[in-house]
Amino acid sequence: MRSDEAAGRPAEQAHWAAAGALGCCRWWEETGVSPSRPDPVRPGLVVLEPAVACAEGGGDGAARESELGPSPFTFRSRRIFLQKEDEFFEDGDVHRHLYLQNSITSVGEVERPKVSEFCCQIAGCSQLFDALENYEHHYNTFHRNVCSSCKRSFPSSHLLDIHILEWHDSFFQILAAKQNMYLCLVESCTEKFKAFSDRKKHMIKVHGYPSDFRFDKPKKPKCNQKNQSSHDIEMETSSCQKEANDTSCRTSTESMDYAPAETMEADSPSMSEEKSSIPKVQQRPSFSYKVPTTICFGHGSVRGFKNARKKK
Amino acid sequence: MIRNRNRVCGVEEIKAKRRQHERALRKARKEKQLVSKRLPRGLQGDGEDVEIRETSVTQEEIFQLYQRIQRGSDDRLAALCSLRRVLHLKEAQQIFVRFENSIRVLNGLFTSNLASVQLQAAQCLLKLSHSDDPSISLVCLPATPYLLTYLSGQSAKFTELCLYILGNLAAENEAVRSQLLVQGVIQALSVCLQSPHGAVVEATAYLLSQMLQAKEAGEKIILAVLEASLTPRLIRLLDLDSEFGMQTTVECAWCLHYIVSSGVSSECMISQGLISQAVKLLIALGRTVDSGTTDGVELLIYPVARCLGNLIASDEQLWCKRQFHDSDLLQALSVFLRGFLQSRPFVTRECLWLLNNLSAGDRQFCSAILCHNLVPVFLQLIPFSGGINTLVLMLLGNVAELGLEYCEKLQQQTGLFPALCSTLSTADPEAARMTLEVLNLIFSYCQQACARFANQNGILALEMVQYHSNDEVRVRANFLMDRYFADQDV
Repeated sequence: MRSDEAAGRPAEQAHWAAAGALGCCRWWEETGVSPSRPDPVRPGLVVLEPAVACAEGGGDGAARESELGPSPFTFRSRRIFLQKEDEFFEDGDVHRHLYLQNSITSVGEVERPKVSEFCCQIAGCSQLFDALENYEHHYNTFHRNVCSSCKRSFPSSHLLDIHILEWHDSFFQILAAKQNMYLCLVESCTEKFKAFSDRKKHMIKVHGYPSDFRFDKPKKPKCNQKNQSSHDIEMETSSCQKEANDTSCRTSTESMDYAPAETMEADSPSMSEEKSSIPKVQQRPSFSYKVPTTICFGHGSVRGFKNARKKK
Repeated sequence: MIRNRNRVCGVEEIKAKRRQHERALRKARKEKQLVSKRLPRGLQGDGEDVEIRETSVTQEEIFQLYQRIQRGSDDRLAALCSLRRVLHLKEAQQIFVRFENSIRVLNGLFTSNLASVQLQAAQCLLKLSHSDDPSISLVCLPATPYLLTYLSGQSAKFTELCLYILGNLAAENEAVRSQLLVQGVIQALSVCLQSPHGAVVEATAYLLSQMLQAKEAGEKIILAVLEASLTPRLIRLLDLDSEFGMQTTVECAWCLHYIVSSGVSSECMISQGLISQAVKLLIALGRTVDSGTTDGVELLIYPVARCLGNLIASDEQLWCKRQFHDSDLLQALSVFLRGFLQSRPFVTRECLWLLNNLSAGDRQFCSAILCHNLVPVFLQLIPFSGGINTLVLMLLGNVAELGLEYCEKLQQQTGLFPALCSTLSTADPEAARMTLEVLNLIFSYCQQACARFANQNGILALEMVQYHSNDEVRVRANFLMDRYFADQDV
């Protein structure tokens, strides 16, 4: 008779409570391999002999494996014995007792299951989303194409490539003197230009982009420090709070790309009026891990999004 | 428990009360103090349809009643009836028990040879026993030898009353239960379980469940119950076709759950046929739910599921020799999974746990899962947290673990990889981790799954967790990425 079962339950318990306790007891970490013998640490937990000794099956080269190191995977199928006091049974027990106390009414009381949320896992971001598409969009827009030098992110790899080329490639200026290096920002367009201004004219003339097109700014040599004051993105999701202090807003409707900002730019009238509305947080260190991704929109973009609307 | 006239309370009030009540029960359970007393509605009146509830009473009124009772004339019965009608009120209870000798008088009436007087006195004792206040309920204690003696009496209604009084007393504390044990409650119950009256059997099982739920049950009570051979009868009662109602079956199911989950002698339970009986019952319940009746059925589903789940986890050998068809049980369980998700999600969750125990390491069962197209049913549950998605992932892992054939079939399921991509990104790191475990199994057995996964936007999903804040997720994601998708242009 295992009378000691109830006492001193191990700290690891199944947390299945519908109160939303996340995390489930990691049954698969019990590595006792004895078939059908009660595990001494956890009386009552019976461990099955795993059907698969090691989930490394398949024909992959052993050499490859050793390169990657030992497999970190630990899942084993196992039958789970639950004692009557287990937290897993809480909801059912409460229901039972409501019944005993004549408290189950047919007043339309139903419980709804909790729907999982999606949480951006990039350290420091932690935005929450209620639908996967929203999270994917967020991720693709802000985390995917990130410049490793200056941490700006771009919604497409095309723009990231151009950015890296024009801003961080030391040969770029040299080459640009000899040949047309400035690529058109429209991905499907293969035109190249000698100078920044030529490209800009092309964008306006051929592709119909406005003259104060926000992303099309030349790199300024010493702007980096200022630029890297991250304009935090105000996420238009239902639970955005974190980086709400700054002004730049994401546009989900714009087909235009996000360009690095030039905070010193004075070539756009819209910019100067915006400058005052931007809080002076420009003294932030350039690699602030509080906000690992920066998007600098150019101040023109703020104009249309002063009042951040929550977009789903 | 104060009973108001429910007609007066609005729906919102009722809901709010229930929520509060629920919170209190959860708290009690966390403190391991979850016990409930029962005052079955049918027992409270004299067959009156609506019992008019008094809402207050004075000391003087109670005193008058008490005097009339003591006098012992024809008036006594009427006075007893009136007393019974007010004894649901806490203040009435307190006043009455404080009168000198009142309890002795009441117990005396309880042992009267006048049936009508006895019945009324028993009703009064029932109300007192139902009180939350031990100083009131425990005044019934001196009556226990009589209560037990009367259990073998002829009157079904009276027996039923006695059983509920005993059940409420048993809920009080260990000392009371010890006293009952010593006075032979188990043997008395054995007789009552054989009663042809459903209400009596239900009350018996209720009393038994109060004993078995106790903290000390594992040490003291369960063995006594087993030795008195109560369990074969309880097991036989797990039958929807029994002549007794579902409520009786529910009480029996709880008794068996408490016994099985204590871990004591599951071989005995199995040899007495509990597994096959539980399976049959679940299958029958599946048909009931499928045909549209869901109201209250869950009360029976989950205690039976618990019995079965724990039995399988206790004794693998006997489970392997099972005689029934997995498909019927699977069908029933899939009906429950869908049927209760939006109203009682804990039923879905507990059935998923049962499915895990059924499928872990079991080729036959996993084949049945695939053949009978259960995977889409599981995938429909993937968006839900609170333990549901992690259990579904465990089920998928159980299937995938079995090797190439299983993985091949799994990865062909439309919707599998999109579902796994979504669980990768959920806020729950355990779900993300389990997803990677499942993916690992599938990829390691079935190379073509990698391409399929990639075609369904999997690489992005995997990439999104490569920087996961949780170590274990990150390590696994990176491993998979490096091993299977290193050549992909991300």
